[in-house]
Amino acid sequence: MKKVLSLVLSICIISVLMAGCGSKDKATTAAGPKKVTLNVMMSFPRFMDTMQAYMDKFKAKELKEKNIDVTVNLEMPSSDQYVTTLQTRLSSNDAPDLFTISASADLATYQKAGYLMDLTSQPFVSKLYSNVKSTVSLDNKVYLLPFESTVWGYLYNKDIFQKCGLTPPETLDDMKNVVSTLKAKGYTPFELAFQEQWVPQLMTALTLGGTVSGTVPDWTKRMYEDKGSYSEVAPIFDIIDLIMQNGTGRAMETGSEQGCADFANGKAAMFVDGTWAAESIMKVNPKFNLGAAALPVNNDKKCTMVNLATTTSLAVYSGTKNKDVAIDLANYILDDNDSSDLYKSLMFNPVATVHKFDQYSWAKEVSSYVAAGRAYTDLVLPQAVTDEQGKLLQSYYLKKVTKEQFIQTMDKTFKDANKAKAQANK
Amino acid sequence: MNYGLNKGKNIKMFLFILPALAFFTVIKLIPAVMGIVYSFTNWNGINPTKKFIGIENFKELFASDPDFWVSMGLTLKYVVVIVILMNMTALLLAVMIENLNRGKGFFRTIFYLPNMISMIIGGFMWKFVFTQVLYRLAEKTGMKFLDQPWIGDPKYAFWSIIAVAIWGGAGYLMVIYIAAIQSVPTYLYEAAIVDGASSMRRFWSVTLPMIRNSITICLFVTLNSAFQVFDVVYSLTGGGPGGATQVVAINIYKEAFARSNRFGYATAKSTIVFLIVLIVTFIQLKVTQRKEVEA
Repeated sequence: MKKVLSLVLSICIISVLMAGCGSKDKATTAAGPKKVTLNVMMSFPRFMDTMQAYMDKFKAKELKEKNIDVTVNLEMPSSDQYVTTLQTRLSSNDAPDLFTISASADLATYQKAGYLMDLTSQPFVSKLYSNVKSTVSLDNKVYLLPFESTVWGYLYNKDIFQKCGLTPPETLDDMKNVVSTLKAKGYTPFELAFQEQWVPQLMTALTLGGTVSGTVPDWTKRMYEDKGSYSEVAPIFDIIDLIMQNGTGRAMETGSEQGCADFANGKAAMFVDGTWAAESIMKVNPKFNLGAAALPVNNDKKCTMVNLATTTSLAVYSGTKNKDVAIDLANYILDDNDSSDLYKSLMFNPVATVHKFDQYSWAKEVSSYVAAGRAYTDLVLPQAVTDEQGKLLQSYYLKKVTKEQFIQTMDKTFKDANKAKAQANK
Repeated sequence: MNYGLNKGKNIKMFLFILPALAFFTVIKLIPAVMGIVYSFTNWNGINPTKKFIGIENFKELFASDPDFWVSMGLTLKYVVVIVILMNMTALLLAVMIENLNRGKGFFRTIFYLPNMISMIIGGFMWKFVFTQVLYRLAEKTGMKFLDQPWIGDPKYAFWSIIAVAIWGGAGYLMVIYIAAIQSVPTYLYEAAIVDGASSMRRFWSVTLPMIRNSITICLFVTLNSAFQVFDVVYSLTGGGPGGATQVVAINIYKEAFARSNRFGYATAKSTIVFLIVLIVTFIQLKVTQRKEVEA
């Protein structure tokens, strides 16, 4: 008897559950505003409140103008889990309607997989700055809406520089003079925070970018064809050695946040880190006089350039069921009236003509290089290569590998990455 | 135990394990089998389509991936050290606590406590201790030997990881050993005392043989978890400095998520690790079970 009862009960429960799943769409047929739910996934949890407020504004606008009641489910997984979460959702047919990816690293892969909607004809495209537009385009089609764009070189302590009567150096020899002047006055020239691999990696990003753009412009292309070598860009070690030999101690025990704190407290005069670190630095020392400049890599002034990269960008999922509303939201991010405030409160660089806010002094300083044509677009290297560079620079600092081994390993890593890519595209 | 089972009893028993079995199948077994299937593809984790490429992943793994085998060697070293040190520590703690007259509960709790903290958090805590606390302690107290690059130098990093892993894991084994020691019948000890055995002798000749089945379990648990070690390394050193502490799980993780998105190749690696763990634990169970005795 009991068995029969439990069977009946469980059947009841299951059928109720199923009914619950099935009746989702019926509620929308009633008169009044049309109800739409958008799932949005973004990779910066620290801006949850700001973005939520902006989504509420979008909701009000959409209700007023189109009589659509939009519910935005904003999801922000922590940054180290973001990619995994996104990939799982995409491959299990549970993709969010809009999501952020890294334009420089992932645009081609996601486009090829067919997840990105072509946004070329959208109104926001005409507002984009042309150098930003090119970072989110592939074969002249725009697939992403640029969110966070960075212009960066290295950071320096303006107060220390002024006390020593120094200005940001333009060439490697200038830099050597700056280093010896700083040391003579009792300052440590460089802050070293190498515990996390991405921080030493910034040195290769900057030096390769400058060297390649200035002297061997076809290097990246040839590397992808297995016809180049790191030995061609070996002079990057001139500046890397200079930095490593004149830096703070305990580099391998210093994480990026600690590095920012030490730098903010005046432990060193320069720090190879991007302008994204400004927030952390100013939090530690709100009176800090922060400067940012282009890192010289050799004695050729035209190789001294800042890095221009679009990192986090917003994509519209190609298979979204609410295409119109999703595209409205994408356009609203670069809205004529509201976008400027959003980008300002996020501390992002302006990416479009609608952004008319005052930049921070350090952001202005690096942007002046862009205006003078002294910027290169971030080199697109395979992820495995970037990762290995960071790893090897740690080992190089610890003197566990030599320059020659560095070059050899990087050549092999690049070739392996090419091979892996070819295999994946088979 | 009565093994003369009738059918009804069998079904009843099966029903009891059904929830756990269903869970295990859905969460562990099916993904594991799917993983093995993926290891024969070139899937990159993003593309909706994947192609079967036969054993090419495995060929590449054996022919041209020295990094993986370096990681494998490091993992083996880690397994050996952890299995020995962790079990010795746990057994020592268990014996010491059991010999206390008072405060047993207090010490048991203290040593078990790290087990309640996720190893990711434990790792970050220790990272802070290693990088921020110890060198300041050295400055203030003059104990200069404390000021070492604990996680910044390959020489020390491995042993720092071992220390944190034991800190986090020994408590769990200790509880198993305490339970085992408590279940040793007292008349055996009394007989040994009558025979004039010293306390050391009683430990070797009575306690150890009587807790062999717990040793089997603990060895199995440590072997298994040590091969798969990830969280403590990930949070403490992230596989660095350089690649000095890149254990196999980190290597696989990087292959799949952080470097080249090669899911197919990464699952091929995990399949190999799975086979190695399977063989090693199988041998271990066979060898240690043979030595177990019944009271």
